[in-house]
Amino acid sequence: MSVSVELLRDNVEPEDVALFSTFTISATAWLLFSTAVGVLLSFKFPYPDWATNPALSFGRLRAIHTNDAFYGWASVALSGAALYVASRTSGIPVAGKRFAWGGLALFNIAAILGTITLDMGINNGDQEYREWVWWVTAVFLLAVIFTFTALLTTVAKRVEREIYISNWYTLGAFVFTILLGITAYIPVYQRGLGQVAVQAFYMHNAVGMWFTFLALGVTYYALPKLLNRPIYSYALGVLGFWTNLFFYPVIGAHHYEFTPLPWWFQTLAIVFSVGMLVPVWAGTGNFFLTMRWQWETVRRSYALPFIVVGVAYYFLGSTQGTVEALRSLQTIWHLTNYTVGHSHATMYGFITFIAWGAIYALLPRATGKRPPVLATGLHFWLATVGVTAYVVFLSVGGTEQGLAWAAGDPFIASVEAAAPYWAGRAVAGLFMFLAHVIFAYNVFMMTVGPSRESDRYERRPAPVQST
Amino acid sequence: MNNVWVLVIAAGAIYGCFCILMGVAPGMILSHTPPVAGLKPLTAAEARGRDVYVAEGCSYCHTQNVRPLVQDKVFGRPSVGGDYAYDTPQLLGTERTGPDLSNIGARQPSDVWQYIHLYDPRALVHESIMPRYTWLFQVRPSASAGEITVPLPPGYAPANGVVIATQQAQDLVAYLKSLKQLPLGTVK
Repeated sequence: MSVSVELLRDNVEPEDVALFSTFTISATAWLLFSTAVGVLLSFKFPYPDWATNPALSFGRLRAIHTNDAFYGWASVALSGAALYVASRTSGIPVAGKRFAWGGLALFNIAAILGTITLDMGINNGDQEYREWVWWVTAVFLLAVIFTFTALLTTVAKRVEREIYISNWYTLGAFVFTILLGITAYIPVYQRGLGQVAVQAFYMHNAVGMWFTFLALGVTYYALPKLLNRPIYSYALGVLGFWTNLFFYPVIGAHHYEFTPLPWWFQTLAIVFSVGMLVPVWAGTGNFFLTMRWQWETVRRSYALPFIVVGVAYYFLGSTQGTVEALRSLQTIWHLTNYTVGHSHATMYGFITFIAWGAIYALLPRATGKRPPVLATGLHFWLATVGVTAYVVFLSVGGTEQGLAWAAGDPFIASVEAAAPYWAGRAVAGLFMFLAHVIFAYNVFMMTVGPSRESDRYERRPAPVQST
Repeated sequence: MNNVWVLVIAAGAIYGCFCILMGVAPGMILSHTPPVAGLKPLTAAEARGRDVYVAEGCSYCHTQNVRPLVQDKVFGRPSVGGDYAYDTPQLLGTERTGPDLSNIGARQPSDVWQYIHLYDPRALVHESIMPRYTWLFQVRPSASAGEITVPLPPGYAPANGVVIATQQAQDLVAYLKSLKQLPLGTVK
């Protein structure tokens, strides 16, 4: 009988189990909501007359889809995992639990207020990923500060001597995001072209300094834990941390190439985008080398395949980002749906798959309840096939758009050229949404669902707890 | 590394410098870009129309940035920083699912065309996938004096009554018509 290492239950105090479970359940609810909105949006491309209503219009729902996926789902899922990782690697329960609970409440208040205001057409000027008006973002930043307090207190009180590399990344993510959020919402230096520069800085940093750092942080814990072997190179992890910190903040202007932003400023962003290959390849190389010759373990695990796909999309999506930044390719791809494909390769293929991998890896260890194997497999394949089809459809469709423009065709030709790919994307989106419904079922089974025979059968005796 | 405070403060200080160097400083300098010669701030109606444009998220599909590329020539001359001197929030956009609107006031100056197109884009461009903005209009049995009725082609008009442009629609069209690129010449 093969007993996977995933079945060893951690010695966790009940409130920490509740904390991790509640963060995950809350995040899952936002995943379902934001991607239901995403599916609705994708069907508006082939059926533009469908749901003609201000509250269901494309222009309002698009920001609800992106912001709730970012700040309701991915932020909360990864924050919950980060707290759990901090507690495990520090050898103590989560400290400052009031702050952690408060953070979770504030994350939800922000996402609810943000959804309502955006649907009423109240936004921060269509600035991508910071569409929430300042007072909604203030609630979100308060959530980040609260959660950071719990995380920092846990790591500061640790009984281990070294700060494990995971905590470098996750602590960094919180510090950077607090600074970024404040920088993004002070209006005095954001008039006209000045705001374009700030938006360029903001939109890429929100992704790179928050989600990338959180996802890498939890991967540095979940991956070695699942494989039961140390990370290939601690030094590569440290290199990745500092090079991410030095390269990421400069590359934002590659979203605004061929705009009136100073030409050298755009060139600087392109050069640093090439520099991003260092942290990306250091990180992915490190992860794949940690997995080397363990493919049988990967195959038998239900959590590892998610991390494999996540790391693969981190490599592909980020390398694609570097290539896309080059001016010669931007002339065709920029402003097309190619970029939407890219953002799903990274925010979904990378960030969301890592969040799933971490949840499947760590949540059963905390609760002692495994997800059903068949449902987990279905989740994995629907999501993997879905997102891959999604990215391929929009990459090809986007290229068609760009080529139609370059050919000097009437504008509507680019719409007609992309139309079949938009229809395909909507179907791919449906696959992804279906995967999320199954994931929600699995989260139920891992948390509040009944304990099953198979869990009791394979679980090692839980260490005696002092409760 | 085993001092968490050193780690957090060092990483925060480095990133704080980046926030100033790559965010605040460029923002501050470029916020003072002078307007192109002859550019005027929007009128009250145009500014209200711009608010409708922002609230409805038009810039998720329409850019306002003509690139110095051959394929963008159809939309006007390449944009310059001075075009955006009164443009806050900025609406350059990152997606061009629909055409660029930097110069739409010159390219499509007809009120009637804009009203019909906002009410039902497919009445004018059959393959268009733009949403209908019917909530910027009212359907009533008949129009009162001074009201703007929208002459929709057969098959696109409601079965009974006339389509009337609300104040929001009028403001939005005023804004769209204000989007005209000024000739450069005095500006390098």
